[in-house]
Amino acid sequence: MNIREVIATINRMQSDGVIERYAIGGAVGATFYLEPSATLDVDIFVTFKSETGSALVSPQPIFDYLKARGGAMHGEYIIIAGWPVQFLPPTSPLAEEALREAVTKDVEGTLARAFTAEHLAAIALQTGRPKDKARLLQFIEAGALDAARFQAIVARHGLAGAWQRFEKQFLADAP
Amino acid sequence: MSFDLQKILESKRALRRELAARPLAEKLRLLDVLRERALSIRPAKPAPDAGVLREEAPSYSKSDKPA
Repeated sequence: MNIREVIATINRMQSDGVIERYAIGGAVGATFYLEPSATLDVDIFVTFKSETGSALVSPQPIFDYLKARGGAMHGEYIIIAGWPVQFLPPTSPLAEEALREAVTKDVEGTLARAFTAEHLAAIALQTGRPKDKARLLQFIEAGALDAARFQAIVARHGLAGAWQRFEKQFLADAP
Repeated sequence: MSFDLQKILESKRALRRELAARPLAEKLRLLDVLRERALSIRPAKPAPDAGVLREEAPSYSKSDKPA
């Protein structure tokens, strides 16, 4: 089980032209900025390559590529280096922007693309499950966000109301 | 060590800061370890009955407009 091997595999997939662009999101993405927290899977946001002559985009080339290299399908996941990996298309303008503006990090010689802290926080705000709110609080408590950049994303993607509610619920009485 | 809640909370914050500041490669190795631990204790968990509240499945496909 080795998450760096997952990243290296996805890099190879990109250099082999199977995907155009990728970025790590979710709990693994958050680990680029916060303390590590237990997670069972890896969320990889990708732009899929269109099949020739088809207007539809499909993850099938990704699955074919990985299965040919020993990857096993498990429901919606494909197992790479012991980790269940889920490939996700960006299905909202926020996720599209997050993918476009993802940053490259050097992990002891392995380059990894990850969402920025501000985009991860905004996606957590938008998704809004209890664990997303907890993660957003972690980002705030850790001082990991550029406030102006985060607020700009919130405003740009219609999340001002959600942010106000979050502030009222969690930050109003903060010391 | 003390039972002063403020000191305990501050020490927790300090530990989290220290973990967050570790090199990225080390943090990713910790993710591997954390996942193995989470999996190792999973079978011991009793199957939830129908009355248990469950978190909704993750969704990344919401519109940008708040509900």
